[in-house]
Amino acid sequence: MSRIEVRSLSKQFGPRTAVEGLDFDVAAGEVFGLLGPNGAGKTTTVRMLTGLLRPSSGRATVCGVGLDGDGEALRSRVGLLTEQPGLYDRLTARENLRFFLKLHHRDTPEAWEAARRWMQRFGLGGREDDRCGTFSKGMRQKLALIRALLHDPQALFLDEPTSGLDPESARAVREAVGELAAEGRTVVLCSHNMSEVERLCARVAVVKGRLLAVGTVPELRRQTAVVEIHVEGSAGAAGEALGPIVPPCVWIAEGHALRVTLAAGVGIPDVVALLAQARVRIHAVLPAQRALEDVYLELTRGAETEAT
Amino acid sequence: MLALPAVLVLVPTGVVWAWLSHPDEVSFRAMALYYDPTLPLKADPVRFMVDKLVVDWFGIFLLMPVFVPILISSQSVAGEKERRTLEPLLAAPVSAAELVLGKSLASVVPAVAITWLAFLGFVVAVDAVAWPLVHGPVLPNGMWLFGVGVVAPLFAFLGNGLAVLVSARVGEARLAQQLSALVVLPLMGLVGGQLAGWIRAGTGYYALQGAVVLVLDILLVRASVRLFDRERLVSRWV
Repeated sequence: MSRIEVRSLSKQFGPRTAVEGLDFDVAAGEVFGLLGPNGAGKTTTVRMLTGLLRPSSGRATVCGVGLDGDGEALRSRVGLLTEQPGLYDRLTARENLRFFLKLHHRDTPEAWEAARRWMQRFGLGGREDDRCGTFSKGMRQKLALIRALLHDPQALFLDEPTSGLDPESARAVREAVGELAAEGRTVVLCSHNMSEVERLCARVAVVKGRLLAVGTVPELRRQTAVVEIHVEGSAGAAGEALGPIVPPCVWIAEGHALRVTLAAGVGIPDVVALLAQARVRIHAVLPAQRALEDVYLELTRGAETEAT
Repeated sequence: MLALPAVLVLVPTGVVWAWLSHPDEVSFRAMALYYDPTLPLKADPVRFMVDKLVVDWFGIFLLMPVFVPILISSQSVAGEKERRTLEPLLAAPVSAAELVLGKSLASVVPAVAITWLAFLGFVVAVDAVAWPLVHGPVLPNGMWLFGVGVVAPLFAFLGNGLAVLVSARVGEARLAQQLSALVVLPLMGLVGGQLAGWIRAGTGYYALQGAVVLVLDILLVRASVRLFDRERLVSRWV
């Protein structure tokens, strides 16, 4: 059973549609990436799933609680790391954490001991009694992450968790995310850091007002297909043979390698058939490994083109 | 925050002291007759004016329980919006009613405590100054005890309720403070009426004020809980 189930989830603010028709599931123990440009609806989606906003239509269930159900029950089961850390500057780290522990009815010695261990792990050990106003951006980010974890949530929603962190701290956070998932917690990660998403996320959803694609990173790479065909003779001459293909495909020739970006509706067999017709001798057909960033840009630009 | 209580204690004490330093001033009789034309010939006009000041001053004293919560509560939502601490708070499993109650207590309790402490100081100061004339305590009296114990907390809730309401609608704490402070104007109007002799203050008068404010408090609490809707706060301000 999925920990998070989303069906046709939409949100409108007056005449403006922030996000529509979202459909995806996230299993327990999965790290799920939510990618999209600024204004794509990622934060709106996270706010709906954490009970801060009511959907305009559609439904979703998070940790067994429907979005139309008990908001307090939902919020007690999820942890949220917001884009801004949102710590109280005049309170110490200890006071900030204990305040939120009290809100979650978890102000126990065990919970505080867990907090202390997390602080130690993220390099904040010994700073419990320092005011958060004296913390650097990275320290606040780490403390805010600890705040999101303290009440033992079943699902975590992390918005740019490594933003502003030095490499060592970013690695500590990534390791922590991996461990939390291994413990069975579900993690939804909003990030612009492609390498982080590739490293951490089992599956990724690309969103821009609507769901553009969802799948594992290898699946997404294959979806916006580029194929590299090794031919005998000049790849440029072979590329000319692709003229009749509709819609046209962009190709680049490098020596004997013909790199073809497949247009929508065009498959590898179509390209191979045309080349064979032109009596091009083919040595190898290799679906190319595209970087997630390229896939993401192509998907989001494609959505822009469709909109215009 | 302490300047207001200090002013509200020291000013009337200073006036009483000044009057008692010159008890034979002819103008006291004229002043007393203005407020009470039926004042008996043998009545001490200075004592009359001191008693009247003590009664009327309660109207101004009520500024304290109104103002202090405004200073604190205007930070309660607008300040959290400015400092970006609102969203994590709203993401916690707390109901709107609990949020309103928590923020209200955080401002009402210190306001009432400051009011009571200032009242204590006022009692000591006025009695010390008036003792040579009165040879007995002027304060506390029944009106003040009722006012400080019952009416002042109601006014504290009024100041808090207005500040929370305004704070939920505007984006800046300072603007929330300034708009909420407008509630002082009708209060000052009433005090002006007392000083002009149009309104005769007393226990009944302040009890009536308290009753009106109680109704306003109930309306404000309901409106505040409604305004603390997460959807409204998050979509407009976060």
